[in-house]
Amino acid sequence: MKRLALTRSPWLKAALKSRWPQFIAAALLLAGFLFVIVSGLLGTPVGSRNFGIIAVWILWWALLILAAVPLAGRGWCAVCPIPLAGDWLQRGALLGPSGRPPRGLNRRLPKALRNIWLQNGVFTLMALFSAVILTNPRVTALALAGMLAAAIGLSAVYERRAFCRAVCPVGGFIGLYAQAAPLELRVADTAVCAACASKACYNGSESGYGCPWGVFPAGLARNSTCGLCLECLRACPKDNIALNLRPFGGDLEKPAARLDEAFKAFLMLGAALAYAAILLGPWGGLKAAALAVGSPAWLAYAAAFLFICFGLLPGLFWLAVRLGQVFAAPRRRTARRSDFALAASALVPLGLMFWAAFSLSFVFANAVYVLNVFSDPLGWGWDLFGAAGLAWQPLLTSWGLPLQIGALVVGAFWAARVARRAAAQGGFHALPVTGYAFGLTLAMMGLLL
Amino acid sequence: MTLALASVALAVILIPAPAAAAPLERFFRVGAGQYAFTPASLRANPGDTITIELHSTDVTHGLYVDGYDVSAEAQPGQPAALTFIASRAGVFRLRCSVTCGTLHPFMLGRLVVGPNWTLARAAALAGLAVLAAPLTLRKAAE
Amino acid sequence: MRAETLARLLVLGLAAAAVGFPLAARQRPPLLHARLAEQGGWAPDVLRAEAGQPLTVRLTSDDVLHGFGVGRTDFEAVLVEPGKVTEVTLTFDQPGIYTYYCTVWCGLNHWRMRGVIEVRGSDVQAGAPTPPLYAQLGIDIDAPHPAETTPAERPNALAAPVVALEFSFDQYAAASPAQLWSSLGNQPGLENLTDAQRWDLVAALWARQTSPAALAEGETIFRQDCAACHGPQGAGDGLYADDLASAGQAAMQGLAGAPDMLMQSPPDWQDPAILLGASPALLQGKLLRGGMGTGMPMWGAIYTDEQLWHVVAYLYTLQMDYP
Ligand code: SF4
Ligand code: SF4
Ligand SMILES: [Cu+2]
Ligand SMILES: [Cu+2]
Repeated sequence: MKRLALTRSPWLKAALKSRWPQFIAAALLLAGFLFVIVSGLLGTPVGSRNFGIIAVWILWWALLILAAVPLAGRGWCAVCPIPLAGDWLQRGALLGPSGRPPRGLNRRLPKALRNIWLQNGVFTLMALFSAVILTNPRVTALALAGMLAAAIGLSAVYERRAFCRAVCPVGGFIGLYAQAAPLELRVADTAVCAACASKACYNGSESGYGCPWGVFPAGLARNSTCGLCLECLRACPKDNIALNLRPFGGDLEKPAARLDEAFKAFLMLGAALAYAAILLGPWGGLKAAALAVGSPAWLAYAAAFLFICFGLLPGLFWLAVRLGQVFAAPRRRTARRSDFALAASALVPLGLMFWAAFSLSFVFANAVYVLNVFSDPLGWGWDLFGAAGLAWQPLLTSWGLPLQIGALVVGAFWAARVARRAAAQGGFHALPVTGYAFGLTLAMMGLLL
Repeated sequence: MTLALASVALAVILIPAPAAAAPLERFFRVGAGQYAFTPASLRANPGDTITIELHSTDVTHGLYVDGYDVSAEAQPGQPAALTFIASRAGVFRLRCSVTCGTLHPFMLGRLVVGPNWTLARAAALAGLAVLAAPLTLRKAAE
Repeated sequence: MRAETLARLLVLGLAAAAVGFPLAARQRPPLLHARLAEQGGWAPDVLRAEAGQPLTVRLTSDDVLHGFGVGRTDFEAVLVEPGKVTEVTLTFDQPGIYTYYCTVWCGLNHWRMRGVIEVRGSDVQAGAPTPPLYAQLGIDIDAPHPAETTPAERPNALAAPVVALEFSFDQYAAASPAQLWSSLGNQPGLENLTDAQRWDLVAALWARQTSPAALAEGETIFRQDCAACHGPQGAGDGLYADDLASAGQAAMQGLAGAPDMLMQSPPDWQDPAILLGASPALLQGKLLRGGMGTGMPMWGAIYTDEQLWHVVAYLYTLQMDYP
C-alpha cells in the first residue's frame, strides 16, 4: 500500500522537529483545560451556558470524533494537556532533554497493565455516569481535574506515560480508531534500526526523549500505541523516522487480534447505541433513569448497559464468528479464540462511523452555545465577543440526516471490507460477521432517524 | 457490476415516494415534561395544516420544528399553540427550545411528513454498500 | 533568555491567566440566583435597599426558566433565563417590606419561590394596618361554607327584573350569593319574583360591583396564576391538582391526628353549592392570606387589594353570567 512521507519535506520536518509549535499548542490547551475546570466549578451550573461543558462536550468532542481521530488518529494525543505536567515533572524540563536523570520512582509499568483493560474499565465507569458528566459542569470539572491528578500521580510512580498507556478512557478509543486514520508514524527503513546500537528512539538521546509511550518505533505495525508525540523523530540520530500519509484504514489491512481491543470495540458500539437511545430517543423514562444515579432505575439501566456491552454484543459476535468458522470448515470442532479478536477489527470502522453519526445529531444543533460561552464563559453576564445574547437556533438541520445516513453507510461498507480481510487472514467465512455489522447499522439507523 | 450497483443506489436515493392523500387539518395535543414529548412522534401528509398544542407538565418547555423553523413556548397550565403547513416531506426533529434542565438539549421528538421512506432508503443503501464491499477488494487484489 | 526559561514563563503565565482571570473578575455584588423551590428557591432571599435609592439586581437562573416580579409595585416582571444574566433597577418610594417572587410556573412549588426586599427610609408612614375585611366581619375562612340553596338555572344578570335597590360594596362583600338570594326573599316588593328571577337579580347586583375591564384583569390573573391548580374552568382539576393531593397526603402522614387541617385539593367551583356559598370577603380573604399549608399561596404580598377584588369578581362568572 502506498505511503507518502510528510517528513520528506524539509520545511515540515523542521516544524515537527522543533518543539515550539507543539509546545505552544499544548500550553494553550493546558490553559484552556485549567479554564474549563475553573469555569466548571465557579460558573453557572447550567450546562448549556457553561464554558466547561460546551467547550469539552460540544467543541472538543466534535473536533475529536469528526476530525482529529478520523483524519489524524492519535493527533489529539500529540497536544493533549493532561499528561503534560507529569511529563515535565519527570523530565525536569519543558522542552528538550536536560541530561539529568529522570525524577520520580520510575518503575516499569506492571505487565498486567500493559493493555487497555483498565482503560475499558475506566471508560465503562464514566459511561455509566455519562448523563450527569455530560450535563453537570461541576462533575465535568471534577472528572477532568481527577484525570489531571491521576496523570501526575502515575508519572511520579511509573516511568513514561503510565496514565496515557493504561488508564485514560479517551486514549483507549482514540487508539482503537486511530487504526482507521490516514496518518501514521513509522520508521523509514527497518534495516537501519536493526543496525542501530543506541536505539535512541526508545532510550532517548540529547535531542529527544525515549518514547513516552514505551514503544519501539521499528516494531510499530499499528497506530494504537503510538501517541504521535514526535519524540522519536527528534531523538533518532539516523533520521529514520517518518510521518506518513496513507490510505484510510491502513492498519486494518492486516488486522491484529487482541482481546482487550475487541472488547473496547464492543464497549464503544454498545455505548453509541445506548446513548443514541437515551439521549436522542423519545423515551423520557430512559433519560430519567440515566440521570438518577444510584436509584433503582439507574441500577437497572447500568445493568442493561453492562449486559449489552459485555454480554449481548460480544455473545452475538461470538456466534457470528463461530458460524463463519463452521461455514469455512464444517468439520472442525473447536472454535479458534484468535478469530474472535481478529474479526472484531471489522468493528473498528463501524464504531467510528457510529460515533460520527451520533455526534452529528447534536453537535450542529447546539453549535450556537459555543458562540455563547466564548462571549460569556461563566454565565456571569459578560459579553466578550458580542455573541452572549445570540438566541439558540439549530444549524444545518437539513444536512444532519443525510450526513448521518452517509456516515452509517460508509461504516457498513468499511466494516464489510475489513471483515472480508480478517476472514481471509483467519480462514473463516466473512458473511456472518458482515451480517452482524449490517444488523447493528440497521439498529443505529432506527435509533437515529 | 459496479455500474449496476451505483445505478441501484441512485435509484434508492431518488425514487419519489407515492403522492399523498388530500390535505387535511391535523391537530396534535403534545405534552412536554422533563425530558420528553408525548406523543414524541407526529405524522402528517404533505400539504396538511398542522396545529400543535403544547402542554407543559412541569416547567416551561418549548417546541421547535426543524426544517420549518417555527416554535412555541408553554408554561405549565398555559398551553400554547403552533400552526403551520407541512409543505416539505421528510423526517424533522422536534426540539425543546427553552432550557428546561440538565438534559434539555436531548428533549427531542419527530415529525414525519409523508410516508417515511428515509429509514428504508438508508437501510437499502447500507445493504448495497455491504454487497459492494467485496467487489472493491477483489479489484484491489487484481 | 534560555528557551527553557521562556517556556516555563509562558506556561506559568498562561496557567495564571486561566485561573486568575475568572477569580479576579468574580461578580460583586453577587448575582441573585433563581432555583427551583426544591433546590432552595431564591439565593439570597433577602435584599436590602434604601427608599428613593435605586437598587440594581442582576438575576440569573441556575436551572429552568423563572421570572422575577416585585409584589404590590408597578415594576414590570422580567424573565430569568438559565445561565443568562438579566439586570433590573428598582426604586422604592416608600419604605417597607416588599416581596419578590417567581412569575413563571416552575413546578408544584413554584409559589414557594419568594424573597423579600427590606426597604429602609426615614419617612416611615406610621399607623396600624387595618385588619382585612374577612377578619373585621368575623368570617372563618377555613370553615366549609356550602350554599343552602342553589339555582336550577345559571343566573343571568341580563335576565334580571329591573328593580331600584340600594346595594353597597359592604353589602356585596359580606354575604354570599346564596345568602343574598335568601334575604332578597324577605325584601318588601320582591315577594312576587320567582326563584330564578331572584337568582338573576343576585347576578345583576354582583355585576354592578365590577366592570368589563376589571373582569378582564381578574381573568388574566386567574389564567396565569390560578389555573394551573384550580383548572382552566375552576373545577379544581388543574395540572397540579393531583400532585397537591398527594403532597398533602404525604404531609399529613407526618402530622399525627390533625384531620381538620387536611391538605386540600382545590375546590370545585363548577359546583354551585361551593362557589355561591362563598362571600366575596371570604374569597378575598383566602387570596389575601393564602391557604396556610394547603398549597394555596398568599397573594396579599403580591397583588393590590384592588387586583384581588377583580379576581374575586371574575371567579363568580364561573357560576353567573354577567353582561
Ligand atoms: S534511533 Fe532511529 S534508527 Fe535507531 S532504532 Fe530508533 S528509529 Fe531506528
Ligand atoms: S513512537 Fe515516537 S511518536 Fe509514537 S509515542 Fe513513541 S516517541 Fe512518540
Ligand atoms: Cu424542555
Ligand atoms: Cu420559578
